[in-house]
Amino acid sequence: MKLSEIARKLELKAVGQSDLESKDITGVYVSDMVSDIIANAKAGNLLVTIQIHNNVIAAANLVDISGILVTQGKQPTEDVVKMAEKAAIPILSTELNGWQVMTKLYEAGVR
Amino acid sequence: MTSAATECRYSMVHVRPGHVVVEHDLLSRSVRSYFSDEAVAPVEEYREGKRIWQYAGTAQSFQFDVKDDATGDVVPFRELLGLMYYGCAKPESDLHRLGHIAHDNNISIYVAVTYESKDGEHTLLSEDKLRVLNRLFNDRLRTPGKKILILPDLFDLYKTMSYGEIMIDFGLTSMEEER
Repeated sequence: MKLSEIARKLELKAVGQSDLESKDITGVYVSDMVSDIIANAKAGNLLVTIQIHNNVIAAANLVDISGILVTQGKQPTEDVVKMAEKAAIPILSTELNGWQVMTKLYEAGVR
Repeated sequence: MTSAATECRYSMVHVRPGHVVVEHDLLSRSVRSYFSDEAVAPVEEYREGKRIWQYAGTAQSFQFDVKDDATGDVVPFRELLGLMYYGCAKPESDLHRLGHIAHDNNISIYVAVTYESKDGEHTLLSEDKLRVLNRLFNDRLRTPGKKILILPDLFDLYKTMSYGEIMIDFGLTSMEEER
């Protein structure tokens, strides 16, 4: 499934410049720990997190995450957004919490 | 919606969650860190020769080994403190400048920062281990043309180790305070 399709179905807001159309999502990984992301997330995953620190971008880039979905309305700072743009990792945001997001992702057909 | 099958020769094994514990000796103004896999990070001060080491802080982290699935060999990475992304380095630093150039060629630069030994000696990650680490992460990539290049700590980053720069986890509270 394209990241753009997920964004549309869940009414997610894109943060910064991002190419959602070119990103395929192979699965979802939920984590707020950088070490956990590095150890267990898979390339192509959509990372669902509340973290907006630049270390999350560093971890996501290392693992080749396809996109980051920030929950609970958290907004990354401009330098973090720029780092994500440079790494070509789209950031999406939602006011929903992690549980609500996971429910909606499942309903949208993401497995 | 399943992951594309890729050939990965190396895999991360024996993943051990724990903490990076930072401690300092006030008299000599020395600071050092080590990995603890105890459920609760040790905070007691202790004497070591003339120095008295006091707890200064912790951050969640992990250690791992890498298994070569072709040979069955397991390479431990106990000395690895963390990986620092060039984009997290200071803009005027050599690492940032180098990483910026590499990025133009679709290469993401990371630096393998290692722990100091108890006697204060600092050893870089060996070339053999760097090759394994680079292969581990590059084999997992799916984006066409993308490369990860993990370098030894030729930049002496371990000396300027700080919570904001090294890729280790932070408590949510301290992250909130940064905002």
